[in-house]
Amino acid sequence: MFRKILIANRGEIAVRIIRACRDLNISPVAVYSEPDANALHVRLADEAHCIGPAASTESYLKISSILDAAKSAQAEAIHPGYGFLAENAHFAGAVNEAGLIFIGPTPDAMQVMGSKTSARRAAIDAGAPVVPGTTEALQSYEEAREVAQKFGYPIMLKAAAGGGGKGMREVGDETELRSALEAAQSEAASAFGDSAVYLEKVVEKPRHIEIQIFADAKGNYVHLGERECSIQRRHQKVIEECPSPLNDPDLRSRMGEAAIKIAKAVDYVGAGTVEFLFSDVTRDFYFLEMNTRLQVEHPVTELVTGFDLVREQINVAAGQPLSFSQADVHWNGHAIECRVYAEDPDNNFFPSPGRISHLRVPAGPGIRDDSGVSEGDEVSIHYDPMISKLATWGRTRAEAIDRLRRALDEYAVGGIKTTLPFFRDIVRDEEFIQAKLDTGFIPRFYERQERGTGVTPLTAHARDARATQDIAIIAAALSYADAQNTSAANHREAQSKWKMSGRRSALANSRVRSVK
Amino acid sequence: MKLHATIAESEVNLEIRREAGRVFANVDGREYELETHSTSSGVTLRTEAGKIFDCRVAGKPSSGQSVDVFVGTHRYVVTLTDPKRLRGTAASGSHADGAARILAPMPGKVVRVLVEQGAHVEAGAGMIVVEAMKMQNEMKAPKTGMVTALNVSVGTTVNGGDVLAVIE
Repeated sequence: MFRKILIANRGEIAVRIIRACRDLNISPVAVYSEPDANALHVRLADEAHCIGPAASTESYLKISSILDAAKSAQAEAIHPGYGFLAENAHFAGAVNEAGLIFIGPTPDAMQVMGSKTSARRAAIDAGAPVVPGTTEALQSYEEAREVAQKFGYPIMLKAAAGGGGKGMREVGDETELRSALEAAQSEAASAFGDSAVYLEKVVEKPRHIEIQIFADAKGNYVHLGERECSIQRRHQKVIEECPSPLNDPDLRSRMGEAAIKIAKAVDYVGAGTVEFLFSDVTRDFYFLEMNTRLQVEHPVTELVTGFDLVREQINVAAGQPLSFSQADVHWNGHAIECRVYAEDPDNNFFPSPGRISHLRVPAGPGIRDDSGVSEGDEVSIHYDPMISKLATWGRTRAEAIDRLRRALDEYAVGGIKTTLPFFRDIVRDEEFIQAKLDTGFIPRFYERQERGTGVTPLTAHARDARATQDIAIIAAALSYADAQNTSAANHREAQSKWKMSGRRSALANSRVRSVK
Repeated sequence: MKLHATIAESEVNLEIRREAGRVFANVDGREYELETHSTSSGVTLRTEAGKIFDCRVAGKPSSGQSVDVFVGTHRYVVTLTDPKRLRGTAASGSHADGAARILAPMPGKVVRVLVEQGAHVEAGAGMIVVEAMKMQNEMKAPKTGMVTALNVSVGTTVNGGDVLAVIE
């Protein structure tokens, strides 16, 4: 087993990996950019190395600096987390060439799955169902028109090197095709440096369901079931669940087998996720892409299966066989995760950086909070604004939602705006509670909120609105009075202490009387 | 202490008096007697009937400026006006009538400047684009007028509240 692992990441995922290192008695080494010098992941590590200034291209994405830090720390392996260099095949190769172990799949597997078109080809070769579409980048508008005619509208244009919804355009009919193609190509070029765009048929009422797979270097493959990630905002997941509310064991094993076939096709090692689109209308599923890393939403799978995916990743990277087989995998209960962002849901999810002046993290039965910050920390403008992932577990989906509602109401973050109020509304939404999920959930949720419908009567406390509003005014006035007093307080102190003690004794007397 | 407050578009008058861990308040004629307990981040108020209100005021309120107040998970925007300080706020208000200042809403970096000093701008026209956390935000002209000050250029790092430009 390794003695030392360098974690080439920051924030909550760096903290998560440090925790797995501690469990395995491995010494965690952090890296940080200049503004992150006092970040939580640095404070929790055994040693930490500065790898450059704030800009991630100069620090967390700078391969040479990270390798230098690993060498000077004498780390034996590097865990990339997710984001940054996690899916960079060149980085994985450079780590191996430096004589270190990259905790993840081989550079070759990353290369194949890194491009959507080559991933699609690999999936087709493995016999997995794919959404009807082109496997090659479109060469011209004429070609796009012909292919679109063949599949029938609506169709979707996607960037070959894409992700996160960039370079993606839905096209309803032929009149929109030319401008959509140009827009998708230019967006792809600016976001990924590659203007290649391909085309797919649109799946009706799509649900985003993904399968967690795991493989070791000895040829053992298992799947850990599905996660439902249909609730998305601008193609970014906001809530994830395990299992899917569909909870269909036959579908699970068919999707699991398809995912394993795809992983085997690239000799996959480690944790990976195969994403599928599932049509709520036809109940067919189609391969979308494979993520060759640990996912943000891995905790929901951990809560339901009981396995520690990061611990397993480290074990497998150290050359050990998987600690369990497919027959050992069982799904117990239901877990739901919310991604808490430093964004203002009342202002179009505008980022809200700043100092966290107050932090109360929920706890109690069934609650797991994976956070990268503590009270007093600065949420910086330079990086992803996710501050924590709140996940809850219950025996049933309904119980998990009850606990999520409780935890969200208990969660308090001061100094910055967060997406917590948005989630508090979602967990009270009827369609969410009834699990009517597909990727169109959020727009429909907003329509219901605007109309004021679909809200279950679980509003925090049935309190007198007028009285609560008055209390808010009183609290503000007290704070205002305090601020006024601090300046004038000093010279009055001697006198007021006498006055206060007199009043206190008067008050004590009145209390005694009232007891009688 | 007598104050005037604006909350959720309604105006109220209030009077508070503090005595040894208690506050006596009169809000538009509604009387409250509350026990106060300060916490690291706010104040917990307890009514005579025992109802608990966990309150947090975001920042320090000053006369004429709005402040976020949380009661449990509920957020209120409260603006207090102190009659004793009315003259001061009125003076700064009259300044705002003539000139409109464009403030950075958050820390970030200026990625585009769409106007020049001395240029005429129409209300609603884009002026400056500030990028933070991978998002770009276009600052628009709040009124029609002339750009009398332009304090930033492409690449300038700004803090929340910095004056980026002034229109008169």
